[in-house]
Amino acid sequence: MRSIKIIFLLFFFLSSAQIFAHPEDELIIREIEEGQLSFQDDQMTAEYEAALKRQRLRKLNAMSGSKQFFLFVKAGIEHIIPKGLDHILFVLGLFFSSLVFMSLLKQVTAFTLAHTLTLALAALDIMQIPGQIVEPLIALSIVWIAVENCVFKKTNKWRPLVVFGFGLLHGLGFASVLSDYGLPQGSFIPSLIAFNIGVELGQLLVLIIALALVWFFRKKTWYRSYIQIPASIIIALFGLFWFIERVFL
Amino acid sequence: MKKLLFLATLVVISSCKNETKQPEMQTSENPFFQEWNTPFEVPPFEDIKDEHYMPAFEKGMEEHLSEIDAIVNNTEAPTFKNTLEALEKSGKLLNKVQSVFYNLTGSNTNPKLQELQRDLSPLLSAHSDKISLNEGLFKRIETIYQEREGLSLTEEQLKLLSDTRKGFVRSGALLNAEQKAQITKINSEISELTTAFGQNLLAETNGFELILDKADLDGLSDGIIAAAAETAAQKMEAAESDEDKAKYKDKYVFTPHRSSMYPFLTESNRRDLREKLYKSYVMRGDNGNKTDNKEVAAKIAKLRAERAQLMGYETHAHFVLEERMLKTPEEVYNLLMQLWKPALERAKVEVADMQAIVDAEGHDFKIAAWDWWQYSEKVRKARYNLDEAALKPYLSLDNVLNGVFETTNKLWGVTYTELFDINTYHPDARVWEVKDKDGSHLGIFIGDYFSRSNKRGGAWMSSFKSQSNLEGKERPVVVNVCNFPAPVGDDPALLSFENVTTLFHEFGHAMHGILTNVTYSSMSGTSGPRDFTEFPAQILEHSASEPAILKSFAKHYKTGETMPDELIEKLLKASKFNQGFANTEYLAASLLDMDWHTLSAEDDIKDADAFEKSSMEKIGLIEEIAPRYRSTYFSHIFAGGYASGYYSYVHSAVLDSDGFEAFKETGDVFNPELAAKLRTHVYEKGSTEEAMDLYTQFRGRQPKIDALLKVRGLDGSAE
Repeated sequence: MRSIKIIFLLFFFLSSAQIFAHPEDELIIREIEEGQLSFQDDQMTAEYEAALKRQRLRKLNAMSGSKQFFLFVKAGIEHIIPKGLDHILFVLGLFFSSLVFMSLLKQVTAFTLAHTLTLALAALDIMQIPGQIVEPLIALSIVWIAVENCVFKKTNKWRPLVVFGFGLLHGLGFASVLSDYGLPQGSFIPSLIAFNIGVELGQLLVLIIALALVWFFRKKTWYRSYIQIPASIIIALFGLFWFIERVFL
Repeated sequence: MKKLLFLATLVVISSCKNETKQPEMQTSENPFFQEWNTPFEVPPFEDIKDEHYMPAFEKGMEEHLSEIDAIVNNTEAPTFKNTLEALEKSGKLLNKVQSVFYNLTGSNTNPKLQELQRDLSPLLSAHSDKISLNEGLFKRIETIYQEREGLSLTEEQLKLLSDTRKGFVRSGALLNAEQKAQITKINSEISELTTAFGQNLLAETNGFELILDKADLDGLSDGIIAAAAETAAQKMEAAESDEDKAKYKDKYVFTPHRSSMYPFLTESNRRDLREKLYKSYVMRGDNGNKTDNKEVAAKIAKLRAERAQLMGYETHAHFVLEERMLKTPEEVYNLLMQLWKPALERAKVEVADMQAIVDAEGHDFKIAAWDWWQYSEKVRKARYNLDEAALKPYLSLDNVLNGVFETTNKLWGVTYTELFDINTYHPDARVWEVKDKDGSHLGIFIGDYFSRSNKRGGAWMSSFKSQSNLEGKERPVVVNVCNFPAPVGDDPALLSFENVTTLFHEFGHAMHGILTNVTYSSMSGTSGPRDFTEFPAQILEHSASEPAILKSFAKHYKTGETMPDELIEKLLKASKFNQGFANTEYLAASLLDMDWHTLSAEDDIKDADAFEKSSMEKIGLIEEIAPRYRSTYFSHIFAGGYASGYYSYVHSAVLDSDGFEAFKETGDVFNPELAAKLRTHVYEKGSTEEAMDLYTQFRGRQPKIDALLKVRGLDGSAE
């Protein structure tokens, strides 16, 4: 059966040299015996995305180690700026909580430690939480942080702990992006580390830009009422919108 | 974030679609009107948009015709150079657009391209008629042909001259005006009838559906049920009235398409439903309704016979076979009948094996045609006990590719380098540069292996650019397109053994297209006769089943462990399974094809059914098997180009089994001396010499059938 079936799988070559050939012949036969192709947009998009990922991985696997490392640092940065708007807003949420260096450092460190942990756990397949759960929670975490900024004048003691908890969520978010992007089999760990470095660099860049923008107003008395609170409200509204979008739309 | 990304992609995709609606197209933007400065002249796929094709086809045909006119109106006396070589150089733009277009309509199509394809088909056939019926052109060629002895032409040039001349003669160039008019009339009648045949068959195939309730699904596996539910959902969506929609609600639909029918026949425990679906398939075009094909088929056969007689041939088969390896109907019948007897005997044994299972199950019925798939599967499980799933981890796509690369490397020293910087028409289409053993460039190989929704089913080889040495060294760009299941998640793609043999087969065609080294592109690569061009593919396919070769690449994708001998043994044993059935149905169809096309113009077949019946009775076909195609749905011969050519598949199989045997006789499947012969006389030669001569130069003698009988288990070796 097999060999005949393969013989059958057909082979009609339209050698471009054969100008007198009628390639439609074979088309008629195939359309009849197999039915028409059905073009479903969502399925085709999914197929195309998967193929792109395979292509990217093939290219990656053929690259040298240092090139790969550099590429993943870049990918990490890109997944914050410009692609990771929700992570940018979360970091800005932290920024608008306090201009006290130590407080900010504690929060950012907590966030970094937490998302590094879950990113690694998820990338190594040790932990799996579906995106439908993680993504809305990430949106909520933004709302929470921003609302807190408005309610409390000074950051409270347990804020770093809260941020750590939320950081765990964001790490899972990075992991899902990274798994769509794909990690090369040959150098899994170095690429994971490189990606994380990129994420940190992106995050640092966000903080530096934010600080530069408010630098001259940071000591003004109206800083809280005209900048800190309005900015936090906008951030909260974005978070809320995403939450609704991710749950209901 | 995921969603945002997804939306962004949608925007990009839909904006691409909008772009295609621009009505005005500057010629300067159309890539077909420009030089391709791409590496290796791989088509610039990213720049080619759907709306570029039609203008390029129109201009391509126009240019081609004016080039032909220039050849015909040349005031110089006809020479090989100013006529045949000029002809060979003509139609460049048309070739360029044609090769891209017909590749993509198969491998990466869309509704727009499909529509274009329908529009183009009559235009292109009118175009080729304008050339093949051009009297002035023929006159020049004939003049050269008559003077050929004194022209000191090379063997290849002589072959091009006589092949080109023969093409014209076979279109009626030597006939008088009245005969020519008759031929034109017959041609147009045949063309109408073959179109009608196809349309009727399409209507008949799409017209039947088996609509089932949940209660009717006994025996079917989840995947099959899901597919049937999906078919129902699609039909429901397509239905116009609410009443029609209600018909499909919460139902499961099976159709006479093979992808739907075979799984049902294999798995369903409802014998009555199996019978119903099977009969709907074999009765297509034979229902005495508006779309009946009995008369159409008989008329086509009669018109073909008339045309052949006008041209001076005994029958249509004589006309066709003149250009093949097997030159006469007698040779074809002789080959088919040698296989027929052992195949039929084997099939009878298979029926008995299945009947034994039926009896053991306590049923009280005689095996019928619609039971074959289900009970042969039971025999397979009981006898061969081969677990396909256990094979797959050893057959990852990358390992198999390495296998075929290494095999061809050992045979001919060719090497492969994957190129990542060349963009093709789809991210799954990979590119390799193929180099000869001295490091020189041989060609570009594109491998597009996974199935997707905009790709046609099956597997094939084609080319984007063919080889020629006429104006400098032009090396080819060839492609293999397959339909292997895409990998899930991050696992590598794992193939079935059937996929592996398909990959080797198509790669054999690709090698034929890449190693070719001839002067004229119309004679390069796979341009030879149909009963020969499968040989280079099948001999490579054959090698995949050779234990030494199989072992060299079948390594477990996780552990790297080689496929165990015991598994290989099982696998090879199972390949002889059900060969009685497969060969019998195929040979019956081939013989039916020959019977239709050895009719003379005087024969007047009124009833295609009766004709088929007597044809099958003559050879003693058993009622448990129908010909692979019955007359009323034999679209290969009545709608496509296989008339008296369906036997080609098995003829190529004779060559490959016999050819592979040559290697085995030397005790070395890579025997360098034979490999070199195979390359110089077969893979490099295209159609520059008679196919039988090419084969004989490689093999040292004419082909024999014995090796094939052994391979297919028809020599009594199957259990």
